[in-house]
Amino acid sequence: MGLKHRGILRIAYVRLGLNDNRLTQSLNFYRDRFGMLESMRDSERAYLRCWHETFQYNLVLEQTAENQLIEIGFHLRDEEDLDQLTDKIEAAGIEVEQSPANEPLKGMGRSIAFTIPGGQRLRLFADMAQSGYVTGFESPDWVTPRELRGTAAPMFLNHVGLTSADPGATIDFLANVLGFGLSEKIVSEDGKTLSGLLFRMCRDVGGQELAIFPGEDGHLHHIAFTKEDPNDILIIGQYLREDGINIDAYGPTKQSYGNTFSLHFFDDMGIRLELCCGGRNIDAHPESEPIIWTESELARALSYYDSDVNPGFLDHSL
Amino acid sequence: MAISRFSYANVRVMDLQKAIIHYTDTVGLRLVESDDQRAYFQADECQDHHCVITTLSDRAGIDHVGFKVNDPSDLVEAAEAASAHGLAVRDVPLGEIAGQGPGVMITLPSEHNMLLFYHADKIGYAGGMHNPVPGVSKNKIGAKVSHLDHTLLSCENAQPTVDFLTEVFDFSCTEKVVDPGGNIIAAFMSCTNTMHDLALGPGPNGTFHHMAFGMHSRGEVLEGVDILKEDEVPALEYGITRHGIAGVTTIYFHDPSGNRNEFYNGAYQSPGRPGLVPPIIWDVENFSRGAFYYEDAVPPAFFDEVT
Repeated sequence: MGLKHRGILRIAYVRLGLNDNRLTQSLNFYRDRFGMLESMRDSERAYLRCWHETFQYNLVLEQTAENQLIEIGFHLRDEEDLDQLTDKIEAAGIEVEQSPANEPLKGMGRSIAFTIPGGQRLRLFADMAQSGYVTGFESPDWVTPRELRGTAAPMFLNHVGLTSADPGATIDFLANVLGFGLSEKIVSEDGKTLSGLLFRMCRDVGGQELAIFPGEDGHLHHIAFTKEDPNDILIIGQYLREDGINIDAYGPTKQSYGNTFSLHFFDDMGIRLELCCGGRNIDAHPESEPIIWTESELARALSYYDSDVNPGFLDHSL
Repeated sequence: MAISRFSYANVRVMDLQKAIIHYTDTVGLRLVESDDQRAYFQADECQDHHCVITTLSDRAGIDHVGFKVNDPSDLVEAAEAASAHGLAVRDVPLGEIAGQGPGVMITLPSEHNMLLFYHADKIGYAGGMHNPVPGVSKNKIGAKVSHLDHTLLSCENAQPTVDFLTEVFDFSCTEKVVDPGGNIIAAFMSCTNTMHDLALGPGPNGTFHHMAFGMHSRGEVLEGVDILKEDEVPALEYGITRHGIAGVTTIYFHDPSGNRNEFYNGAYQSPGRPGLVPPIIWDVENFSRGAFYYEDAVPPAFFDEVT
């Protein structure tokens, strides 16, 4: 039977390398103040997940000499997809690195890693160990766990923003080779693609798993996490500020581009994070049409509630 | 490829004019087109032609549910697979339903008709496709519905339909309610990354429990309740509440013919293929908390009243 959802099913994790001795500072942020659950810890890495998530990690932290985005992980349907995508990526002239199960990350099946035209590494795999829901599987209370209240307590990893010197080429690769759909894009006055939001499946808080912004190759723009609604995000903004966390100059805002209600802020290492809800409703269908923004409308696209473009907003943060 | 979306519900109504007033002025959908037999509606944040069709009839209920596939060859394959499972299949030619291409109608074991189709005409998002206004216009009448989110259909035994949807149409079961013998009382089935696109609950075969309209915030659900009250729309006695199942904010109400509607906000995400994550299991003892989290009781009308 071919009536199956194939290829990339979901965004799984972001893996960061941080110059942080024994990950003390970053765990203090992501686990204790941002409110992710620590699933596993070994001498090299900490594996964290969002509270509504059953899979073992959405964020992997490891100690490196310099702060860096190591890779972004995507979950495929099965091994057959892994083989097919390997062939497609190689046919596009991109070198593919094969890794056996549990390498380099624990709890993961066989995987492939490669560099997209924008310079970032992606890893694809078909199997990831599950921690199980923190609520349990039997008649659960779907309520933010008590120990996480007062933190951001994100529900899911929502999307990752990347910068790219040639956003059009990166978007074409993600769409044509990896099978992403385009929900929105920003084009210059002469019709060149400056930015795009890419997705794989219809979700309730969705429309993007990868966001491509213009900038230097190989960098991270931001990491976004899902919250239930704007009310949550407004309240959590207060907790973050009370905790001394650096909130982006936009503050809480409606992001017209992507149709989310969003709050951007920075972790202690300066990495830009986002809490978002809402999002563009779109289905993974060849006839779905993207929203098109023109560059002259950039200020309104990035933040509906602010009259100026926040000058640093398009800069990468890692 | 695969089913990409729960596209629309075609519900039977006894008074088309009253239905139009309800689904536009109260629910807040756009009226796309209508004739003396049918009206087609779409929510603000969908680009396809319709998410609700109301068809004039002598009784309320569900005519069929529409799901979109993302490859035209899926229609042939789905028809063959459904026939092989002994299900009735018929071709629906272009023109039978406005705003969409040809499709195949499959009668599920639960005796509900499910139409698969590939093409939908585009009407665009309400805010436009170029430099759109985000959110909802100040001139908007009715509730702030973003999209049609899911439907719950009732049947005597959900198991064969759950099996068919899982094995043939690649739906995941995210949560289910089971009796002490392990029999399914209700199942929440997703063909995307949502919590459910199609749910099955107890009742006579072929009956309609509700369709749910998604909203972007709990605040918009609250505003929706105010609109229902102002418009004197009959609603479930609990007013606004939360489902324990899925943990989402909700209110139920009825259209003028008695078809149940829901306003809904939630962020639940599912992994996108069957069997990857075991379903959450609700037992009978906890079911009332699962259905209505605050009240922890299920009003009898909730299951008795199906159309």
